[in-house]
Amino acid sequence: MEFLKENWIFAEVDLNKVNPITYQLITKMNQISELPVTVVLVEGSSESLEEDIKEYGPDKIITIKNDQLVQGNDLEMTNALDTLIEKTGRPNSFVFAATVVGRSLAPRLQARLRTGLTADCLDLHFEDDGTLVQTKPSYGDNIMCEIVVPNHRPQMATVRSNVFEAKKLNNPMTKVINITNLKVVQDKQLTISSKPLPQESAESITEANRIVAIGRGDKTEENLTNAKRLADKLHAVIGVTRPLTDLEEFDINDQIGQSGQSVSPDILINLGISGAVQYTAGISNAKTIVSANTDKDAPIFKHSDYYYVGNAEEFSKALEKALQ
Amino acid sequence: MDQKTISQDILLRMVKAFVKNEVAPYDMEIDHTRSYVNNLWSKVKENDFLSLMLPEEYGGAGFNGRTSAKVINEIAKGNASLAVTLEGHFKSVDQIVKYGNDELKNEYLPQAKNRIIAFSMTEPSGGSNPMGINSHAEKRGDKWIINGDKIMITNGGLAEIYCVLVKTAPDELSFFVVDNEMEGFEYGKQENFLGLTGVPVGEIVMNNIEVDESHLLGKVGMGKEIGDSAHDDARVLMGAVLTGIMEHELDLVTDYATHRKAIDTPIIQMQGIQRKIADIAISKETTKLLYQKAAWMKDHGQDYEEEAAMAKAYGSRSAVKAGDDSLQILGGYGYSLDYPIEHLIRDARAMEIAEGTVEKMRTAIALKEAESRA
Amino acid sequence: MKIVVGIKQVPETTNVKINEKTKNIDRRGISGVINQYDRHALEAAFEIKAKTNAEVIVMTMGPDDFVVSLQEALALGADSAVLLSDRAFAGADTLATGYVLSEAIKKIGDVDLVLLGQQSVDADTGQMGPIISEFLDISQVTYASKLDVEEGGLRIKRYLENIEQDITAKLPVLVTVTDQANDPKYVNIVEIAKSFEKEVTTWHASDLNLDADRVGQAGSPSVVRSISSPKEVVKDNYKLPDNPQDAADELVKILKDKNILVEDK
Repeated sequence: MEFLKENWIFAEVDLNKVNPITYQLITKMNQISELPVTVVLVEGSSESLEEDIKEYGPDKIITIKNDQLVQGNDLEMTNALDTLIEKTGRPNSFVFAATVVGRSLAPRLQARLRTGLTADCLDLHFEDDGTLVQTKPSYGDNIMCEIVVPNHRPQMATVRSNVFEAKKLNNPMTKVINITNLKVVQDKQLTISSKPLPQESAESITEANRIVAIGRGDKTEENLTNAKRLADKLHAVIGVTRPLTDLEEFDINDQIGQSGQSVSPDILINLGISGAVQYTAGISNAKTIVSANTDKDAPIFKHSDYYYVGNAEEFSKALEKALQ
Repeated sequence: MDQKTISQDILLRMVKAFVKNEVAPYDMEIDHTRSYVNNLWSKVKENDFLSLMLPEEYGGAGFNGRTSAKVINEIAKGNASLAVTLEGHFKSVDQIVKYGNDELKNEYLPQAKNRIIAFSMTEPSGGSNPMGINSHAEKRGDKWIINGDKIMITNGGLAEIYCVLVKTAPDELSFFVVDNEMEGFEYGKQENFLGLTGVPVGEIVMNNIEVDESHLLGKVGMGKEIGDSAHDDARVLMGAVLTGIMEHELDLVTDYATHRKAIDTPIIQMQGIQRKIADIAISKETTKLLYQKAAWMKDHGQDYEEEAAMAKAYGSRSAVKAGDDSLQILGGYGYSLDYPIEHLIRDARAMEIAEGTVEKMRTAIALKEAESRA
Repeated sequence: MKIVVGIKQVPETTNVKINEKTKNIDRRGISGVINQYDRHALEAAFEIKAKTNAEVIVMTMGPDDFVVSLQEALALGADSAVLLSDRAFAGADTLATGYVLSEAIKKIGDVDLVLLGQQSVDADTGQMGPIISEFLDISQVTYASKLDVEEGGLRIKRYLENIEQDITAKLPVLVTVTDQANDPKYVNIVEIAKSFEKEVTTWHASDLNLDADRVGQAGSPSVVRSISSPKEVVKDNYKLPDNPQDAADELVKILKDKNILVEDK
């Protein structure tokens, strides 16, 4: 079979906006791929999200403008991508975001194409012959597996958000190809009505630029109030370790780490967090990490750019004052 | 895989999950509040824990002694009080199964699914010496009239049905089954014990309670035999409770010693700590083997009195010692009421007394050893 | 209505390590349990059964000891169980596993609803649902957070990152279920013995209409090249002064100098 010498990325669009994971995937692919990097973008007929994507400099964008497809039916989208691939040939690789959308669509396409797919990758690299080496966690991030798909194309993967950096390029040279004549057969079995999730009072920790994280040691009402005041001052979002999800006001969406969320803020301030591996697995992409803990041997300090040995609450109050 | 193995696997999976979600997180709260918080008791009933070893013909699950003991072991790992409450019920159900006439069994065993049955021997005038009791039953026509006062009953107050030891003649001991719905039945004072604080321990008072002949357990004069049989059952299950307590202690102490550092080295690397932890592990495993052997012998119809006594005598002292060593390793945390170690010591300590003191166990063991050589 | 629930037996804890000697995952002393998400799929089936008198068939692929999980599902309320077990299935990746499961569902016939957990807690792939839907050629709804049965099908709530979806699905359909969907019950202790009146059927490769090239290792495009423990990230760490206010002041200065804290951000 003749393969297309390109590596593909599926652009994730929600609420008429490109999900940042798409940009992260483009930057990563640009770094590791010898072959041209192509983004497949499915958008509504009146949209032009390719303009946003261009800034990150993929070699090519294939744009499919179709108001039916954007409804988000996995079967219809699988049919569309399958048809596209029939026309172009099978690319060397095809990566998706490991979001609900990506993790639903990619395996269906995988089955259609009868190829291999690795879910929820944390790292990717190519070998000289074009083999995509996919690093995936299993057993709730306790084990890392390296997986390859030697004899089938495309090599498919879904990739976790916020694992890679996204960088805009100066003067990118991106070719845009519009596909207008793609036939879409409607799936009459499902009726999907979508609406934006009600805006939460604070932004989610996965997208936050600044996070104040609190641990088991900070479970008292007073400590919480202090942490919240610091967060307000910093315009930061509160993240928690697992034990705090017991409290009414926090749940898994606020929890950082293994079974919670991976975060990638510009700055993360850890108050009273000791730094179990389950937690640190979720903060490896925080750019600057500051930690305060009474235990001078707290493992979190090894993951920190700056650390303070002492009472986290006092430190938090002092920091609040220093920010006046 | 055979049905028995599969059933046991499913059961233990369920129990582990139940303990993890519904029991262990409330261990400290149960101890502090002296009650089964968070609706635990209704959850225990809902899932038919009370029917665990009740024969299938009476609507029970019919698990054998060994499996039931393993369940008690798992529960005790999460909270020893709950395990002892169930132990008290199981041994009582077992005596009705073993000694009850058909009428009694048909009346009470189907109720054992929802109503706790307790076993009561101790009175203000005597515990380990049964001939010292004052409660008595008198035959009038085809009825028995029961009078007396029973104290320190495991599950007393929570239980609704009681197997009571009474005198049917000056030197004749017999057991009867009475019910809290009977006229003349009254609940008395609740004890305020040091450990196993979740287990209600209380008094019942019997004023001219009238029961049918069918409520006599076994025959008149079988009081001692039935009492001994209940003790043997209880001691096996207590071995399981003590194993669970030591497993809990091991979890706490290994976790602490692995993470706590002195001069950059986790304290688990230090010989003094290692020796203590190894000894706890050895005691735990020895107690486990003892109770499992005793339970196996029971299931195979062998005399297991000595092994049951060993499981309880060895297990109770070991668990107290293991708790003390754990406390020492955890230092200030161990001594804190906000950490579970101290209540594990209090819990274990109860079992050096309840269901026969460790001194009585040693008497039984020594006499058995002599008997087997005579 | 006929419902098939696919389940997987997984280790009771995901807290596993790699054995230094064997270089393999050390699973000593770890027993199996039904994958937690699959319990939610089972519960969803039982809720539908309570309303519609549906027939619930539980299915798994794996070695013979997976029968414990099937029996447990029977004790929880499933009507019958199918174990797919054959040496030929060994070494299967998601594609080959999904193929065998889909063929087994075809063999059962007239299935209206296939339910799965959103993913397994050991492999964490979440691929099985979409793969089976594709091979059965039916529609799929993944990550359902709420399921209600209604005239002619199901009504499902589903949450994407920023979107809430309200989906009506006609049967047949495959749905994968999140842990938000319901509260699974514990096995009732007395029901365990009763569950043995129900049947666990074992199907081997020869019982199914399988293309030999598509099962087991041979039918698996993916190859696990190696496994390892996650690496710990080591950062250059700088100790702030002991006095809290000195520490805070110094930190704020550093962060401002480095443009990490910009006033108006």
